[in-house]
Amino acid sequence: MPVIHFNGISKRFGDNVVIREFEAEVPDQEFLVLLGPSGCGKSTMLRMIAGLTDITSGELRLDGELVNEKTPKQRNVAFVFQSYALYPHMSVRANIAFPLVMDRFRWWHHIPFVNGFVKRAIMRDPQVAAKVAEVAEMLELTDYLDRRPRALSGGQRQRVAVARALVREPSIYLLDEPLSNLDAKLRTQMRAEISALYQRVGKSFVYVTHDQVEAMTMGTKIIVLNGGVVQQYGTPKEIYDRPANTFVARFIGSPAMNLIPAEAAAGTVRVESGGALELPASDPDRAPQDGALTLGVRAEKVRIRPASEGGPGLEGHVTMVEHLGAETIVGFKFGPAAASGEVGAAASRDLHYARIPGDVVFDFNEPCRIELDLTGASWFDPESGERITGAPVPA
Amino acid sequence: MLMHRRLSLGVRVVLALATTVLAGFPVYWMFDTATTPSDALYRGDQSWLPDLTRAGNVFSVLASDTPFLRWLGNSAVIAFGTTLLSLAIAVMAAYALSRYKFHGKGLLGFGLFATQMLPEALLLVPLYSLFAILGLLNGLGGLILVNTSFAMPVAVWILKSAMDGVPYEIEESARVDGCSPFAILQMIMLPIVMPSLAAAAVIAFFDGWNEYLFATTFIEDRELWAASTGLASFVGEFSTPLDTVFSAALLFTLPAIVFFLLMQRRIVSGLTAGSVKG
Repeated sequence: MPVIHFNGISKRFGDNVVIREFEAEVPDQEFLVLLGPSGCGKSTMLRMIAGLTDITSGELRLDGELVNEKTPKQRNVAFVFQSYALYPHMSVRANIAFPLVMDRFRWWHHIPFVNGFVKRAIMRDPQVAAKVAEVAEMLELTDYLDRRPRALSGGQRQRVAVARALVREPSIYLLDEPLSNLDAKLRTQMRAEISALYQRVGKSFVYVTHDQVEAMTMGTKIIVLNGGVVQQYGTPKEIYDRPANTFVARFIGSPAMNLIPAEAAAGTVRVESGGALELPASDPDRAPQDGALTLGVRAEKVRIRPASEGGPGLEGHVTMVEHLGAETIVGFKFGPAAASGEVGAAASRDLHYARIPGDVVFDFNEPCRIELDLTGASWFDPESGERITGAPVPA
Repeated sequence: MLMHRRLSLGVRVVLALATTVLAGFPVYWMFDTATTPSDALYRGDQSWLPDLTRAGNVFSVLASDTPFLRWLGNSAVIAFGTTLLSLAIAVMAAYALSRYKFHGKGLLGFGLFATQMLPEALLLVPLYSLFAILGLLNGLGGLILVNTSFAMPVAVWILKSAMDGVPYEIEESARVDGCSPFAILQMIMLPIVMPSLAAAAVIAFFDGWNEYLFATTFIEDRELWAASTGLASFVGEFSTPLDTVFSAALLFTLPAIVFFLLMQRRIVSGLTAGSVKG
């Protein structure tokens, strides 16, 4: 049963269109990642799902029910904010219990003095106390329950924010870049913890991030957004292997997919350096139509070796080497090295990457030979940037 | 480095002592005056040290034929009434000014400021005639209203500034957790801005407690006088019992000091620390 249905959703702030005709159907219990660069509208989208931001036009349905006008509570969602948004005047225990307290709150509980008494009474309720203890244990917060948020580290605060979301057992968990304020090591740890949590609670997660590593490792489905427009919706593998356009190709993957201008004619593809490439015979996307194309090849499909070793391959030169220990990222350009070195924007223009296992040594500007494995390569229209698929192979 | 630290500590201690003496001396001097016989005061024969054998004289005013205790009670009603009414209005006004967009918001904010620019004496006559029409003269309720009109704008500005500093995400988080706007104000916003609320309460209380001009003009019935009016009444045409005046002044000061000390505990900073990533 589809649980989240985006039906032509748009959002405008004055004349500024942030989300344009957003269409998607996300099945139940998916870990959906909204991925895109800063300002692409992904957080606005999440806030619209939560009911924190109004939808300008279109329909948002949860389990088939139109929720455009419903409050966050009526939608039964939980939201984890990028900035934690913990209540500073409450202990960790009170923070976690707060959604449960509000569930049991009646209008007359707002009467001064009654308010504080009722709040404490609800928190002492065995059911509430047990639920808080259970969630705290799950997130290893038991020892910190009586502390205030200011006495916690960043990772612990983030865990409290997640615990507060968990305690009410909502139907959808919304997470807005929850790891972006953490350091690299903690981020990796929390990434694993959130993934494990997703497996354990078996509910729908919608996760906003601009970090493609988070998207690829955690998501079961990814929506790539740019300028408020959906670029692609699919599984991480689909998005990585078969990007819908050059934006997705460049945005997903580190290093980004190599986009190489090429010319196809009568079954042969020539790249800018003039070399002819052999097309694999049994690839569904193997053959583009004749004419100008953009060839997309992942860095791991590029083989590079020093020209001094001889052998076939396109001519190029090395402009950058990153030693990552287990692998080496080699930046190269086609053709011979320029007589004078390139700096600034020129240095990164037409720069392509190869990912080679192990630690490989190259000199700067060293001539090299490049071979491209075109199995599963992507082809794009150079004008529109859209993916070209299924064109017949010229004989 | 150590030398520098010691010097800095010394300077701080000296400054703290100087401030304490400056703030505490008037109270001390009131006590000293209250324990000195009136004739000695008129002779200019006041000792720097209080005569502790006459310490009981501090309460002499209560034994006099003036209903001073009742006046203190009236002042307490005015001060607490002013504080509660000012804060009740100010909290909601400050929240609206801080969080909602509406037409005339800037003008309203400026209007609240503008009320502080007018001297009380200027408003005395128009307010008197207005209160006469409304039948609010000669009653504590009228004084509470007047004092609220002066204390509330200050409280609004203090609270608005504090609420402006509370991150929006905390409120949004409360909305997701099921809070109504009123619940957000009561259960999230107010506890977070408690230091500013306490500061505003102190200001409103002192406004009500110390006010003299309106209290003297609007109240005729001697039984309904505020303590400030009663205190001034000790100054006679032919004689002024200075020791009694100062004993009354000391008793008049004490409740205000107690209120301030109670509120002071709440005036702490840094409450929002840890709520959102800084």
